[in-house]
Amino acid sequence: MTSPLAASTRGLTKSYGRGDTLVPALRGIDLDLPAGRFTAIMGPSGSGKSTLMHCLAGLDQPTSGSVTVAGQALEDLDDDALTHFRRDHVGFVFQAFNLLPMLTAEQNIWLPAELAGRSTTGLRDRFDQVVTSLGIADRLTHRPAELSGGQQQRVAIARALLGEPAIVFADEPTGNLDSAASAEVLSLLRQSVRELGQTVVMVTHETEAAQYADDVVVLADGRIVERREVAA
Amino acid sequence: MRTVLLASLRTHTRRYGAALLAVLVGVVLVLVTASLSSAVRDGLTSGLAEPYDGADAVLGHPSPDDAARLLAAAPEQGADAWLLGWTLQQLSHDGRVVSTDSDIGPVADEPAGRWQELTSGRFPDRPGEAVLDNNAAKAAHLAVGDRLRIGTGSSALDVTVVGLVDSPSTYVVASVYVLWTDLARWQDHLYVSSLAWAGPEPGYDGARDAIRAVVPGAEPDTVDAFVQEVQKDVNRGVDVIAIVALLFAAVALLVAVLVINNTFTILFAQRSRDFALLRCVGATRRQVVRSVRLESLALGLLAAVLGTAGGLAAGQGLVALIHGQWPEARLGDAEVGTVWLVVAATLAVGVPVVAAWLPTRRVVRVSPLAALRPDDSTQVGTATGRTRVAAGVLLLLAGTAAFAVALAAAVPPALVAGGVATFVGVLLLGPVLVPALVRGLARLGRRLMGPAGRLAAGNAVRNPRRTAATTASLLIGVTLTTAVLTGLASSRSALADEMDDQHPVDIAITSARALPADTVDRARAVDGVAAALPVTGTTAEVAALGDVAVLGVPPAGADSVLHGKVRTPGPRAIVLPWDLIGDGLEVGDRVAVTVGERTVRLRVRAGDGWGEAALVAPGTLARLDPSPRLHAVWVRADEDADPEDLAGSMEAIGSPLGAGIENGLADRAYVDLQLDVLSGGVVGLLGISVVIALVGIANTLGLSVLERGREHALLRALGLTRRQVRRMLAAEAVLLATVATALGTVLGVVFAWLGVRSLVEPVVTGASLVLPWTQLGAVVVLAALAGLAASVLPARRAARTAPAAGLALE
Repeated sequence: MTSPLAASTRGLTKSYGRGDTLVPALRGIDLDLPAGRFTAIMGPSGSGKSTLMHCLAGLDQPTSGSVTVAGQALEDLDDDALTHFRRDHVGFVFQAFNLLPMLTAEQNIWLPAELAGRSTTGLRDRFDQVVTSLGIADRLTHRPAELSGGQQQRVAIARALLGEPAIVFADEPTGNLDSAASAEVLSLLRQSVRELGQTVVMVTHETEAAQYADDVVVLADGRIVERREVAA
Repeated sequence: MRTVLLASLRTHTRRYGAALLAVLVGVVLVLVTASLSSAVRDGLTSGLAEPYDGADAVLGHPSPDDAARLLAAAPEQGADAWLLGWTLQQLSHDGRVVSTDSDIGPVADEPAGRWQELTSGRFPDRPGEAVLDNNAAKAAHLAVGDRLRIGTGSSALDVTVVGLVDSPSTYVVASVYVLWTDLARWQDHLYVSSLAWAGPEPGYDGARDAIRAVVPGAEPDTVDAFVQEVQKDVNRGVDVIAIVALLFAAVALLVAVLVINNTFTILFAQRSRDFALLRCVGATRRQVVRSVRLESLALGLLAAVLGTAGGLAAGQGLVALIHGQWPEARLGDAEVGTVWLVVAATLAVGVPVVAAWLPTRRVVRVSPLAALRPDDSTQVGTATGRTRVAAGVLLLLAGTAAFAVALAAAVPPALVAGGVATFVGVLLLGPVLVPALVRGLARLGRRLMGPAGRLAAGNAVRNPRRTAATTASLLIGVTLTTAVLTGLASSRSALADEMDDQHPVDIAITSARALPADTVDRARAVDGVAAALPVTGTTAEVAALGDVAVLGVPPAGADSVLHGKVRTPGPRAIVLPWDLIGDGLEVGDRVAVTVGERTVRLRVRAGDGWGEAALVAPGTLARLDPSPRLHAVWVRADEDADPEDLAGSMEAIGSPLGAGIENGLADRAYVDLQLDVLSGGVVGLLGISVVIALVGIANTLGLSVLERGREHALLRALGLTRRQVRRMLAAEAVLLATVATALGTVLGVVFAWLGVRSLVEPVVTGASLVLPWTQLGAVVVLAALAGLAASVLPARRAARTAPAAGLALE
């Protein structure tokens, strides 16, 4: 693997609680995520896969160890700096509750750019490209309540891709979808990696979902137990 | 279900804090009103009978002349008679004006009629001696031995303080008591409340006949009957004040109902999954409803205990504070009757239960299956019902019709009905109206607020009903405040015009003898004097009145000192002060006015406001006296001059010259003070409901923050900084507060305009709507700031949301 790294961790641990109630969620993770690939992080409930993603994305502070994303060591950043970093370099697709209910699909897609105070004119072409390739051009004026689950996730993917982030994190993106919609969403994520060169990291517990990825990392009890490439 | 009830009480108690506070404020206000009114009543009625001790009959409100005749006749009949009444005169000590309106009352010649209780010194023996009321002496720092001057000009009286007294009855209390022989000089300015008569033989009949012998047709009462009548009057007065105060408490409680209703609606919406789950595991509809109603009842009981205790403590504390700080207010003891306590406790229990009634009914509409569905976590607001909109529009139309009737026929009930109908109409239309206004305002402020502001605007209107309910509580207070402020400002300007007519001169120094020429410059040099104008005249003999200063008006340069215009007589007329008219001289009479050997006959007109002098046209004055001399100085005070200081300085100039002082400034200041006290009191009382409304806004916002935890987490993940989260919440609160205030201001001004048109204009000519821009602006700015303050706690809480929290499914 010669491609540059989109993110990496060294000696990453994360525990919740203290004393008797201390629960270790991650027990020392060393992981390199190459750029331009679709990586699936798998594992049963409680294996620490969501915690790993939260630490990688700068949503949560590790107990020890280091996380580097897009060449930036996250432990050096305070809350505001982390927020700005996420805005500029990270995209998110969550399992549920991805969109703000009072905004239209289009407003939801523009939201991160708007929060960052970026000019929308420069991103117009990118917006059209993303919206067209995700097939939601005719749904832009709808509010989330008027969209199906699959459509909502496509809007969320469009939002994540718009800012050309260094890395897109998807947290159980198909958890709430039926199988047809799941297949659609996973294809779109893979398509964004193939066609746009996007780096995508997906957390999932569904083996079928992992089949769409390039690499699979399997976690159990806070440790990496397996790494493999998916045969194309 | 009891386990569920107790557990949910434990869990949700904190969220009921604001609701509890809202009821408490209203209940405390009710009990404070009860305490204060009972203390005032006690203060006013205690000792009411004492001045009549030993009397056989009391004649209520005799004319001063009748009273004087009765006092004179009493000794001849071997009876005692004493007078209760007072005159308002300027009181000065060492050239310093103690008060421009001090009440001067009589102390009886005979010990039998001396109802005042001597605490030091002695009672007056002879004219020129006076006793002071203890409280008045304390307030003015006067003591036995001080020399005082009562009144100004020719009727001024110098007295020595020989004793201090307590006055047991507030009803007839005066600050200074002098003997009748001294008081009689102000007979024309005397207000006589009653005259007590004790005949040589005890008994009402003899006393009545003796009184009727002097004043035929008089209807004296027995002492008991008279005292009871006075007591009734006093009670009626206190009742009116208490009812007005309770109206404000009612407004506060109404706002509390809205706030609590909103709280329950939001809380129950958040707990709808809990309720559905309860239904799933076998709770009946009735059980769920009862459990929730018991929760509101528990809140009410807590409010009843805290509210009555707090209200009693606050009432007693306030009365004690007034006792200590303002003894001259003469409050009695506060005693809150059981009825009040029952009413207050019932309100405390009733308000939450009533406020929870409708939200409770909505609780059980949730289908049990809702608990099994994944949480979509947001209910998009329900569309506003057509019936609601229709009812709102109908009420608006009905209100407008009622206003039209009120304007056409000046019927106050129609005005009130129109106000209520219109206001309820606006409240019903709130879910349509308020979000539209919020959007409009947000569009105006788009550039200013940035992305956080845009999110806030979206948040503010996402649940129109909740938005409307939140703003409604503030709307009530602001509408009433604005209406009162605008109404008072309009009345004030109408009164100001009238004051200009009644008191054209701020201060006039007038003398029947010519004044030295430097008086003008000396007056002008006084601090607080804006201008001083010499007014020339002459000393003339006016019919039976003797020597009177006759001034030629208008004097040159009158505009520089006068408010409005002073009365200008025609060439054949003379304007006399009302005080000099009477005693055989009537308006319309022709009188001979003589200076030396020159006499002119002039028609009498009457007026007031320039002191003890007659006014004639300059031509008339020239006919009387070809070389008029300085007889008066008219002074215009600075806007912020203190009327008593200024009167003191003028007294120092005028008194050695034998000149009298007319103080229009003090009357002006007194009217201003009354209006200030009135608007301050009303605004203060309404402020209480505004505070409750703001607690409501903070509460709605706080509950919404809990509800939107996942959204805030998502926004944080997508790149909203903590500061932006706080700004978003602050912008939402300010938007809500500003819209409620703007709407309330518009409504209030419209109501005030209608009130002025239909109530004030028919009574006071030239009254028109005056907008107190600074005050209205202050209301809007304060409301916006208060909205900002209301957002502080919820915003802190929201900003604490960790971006990772609440993203995973529970």
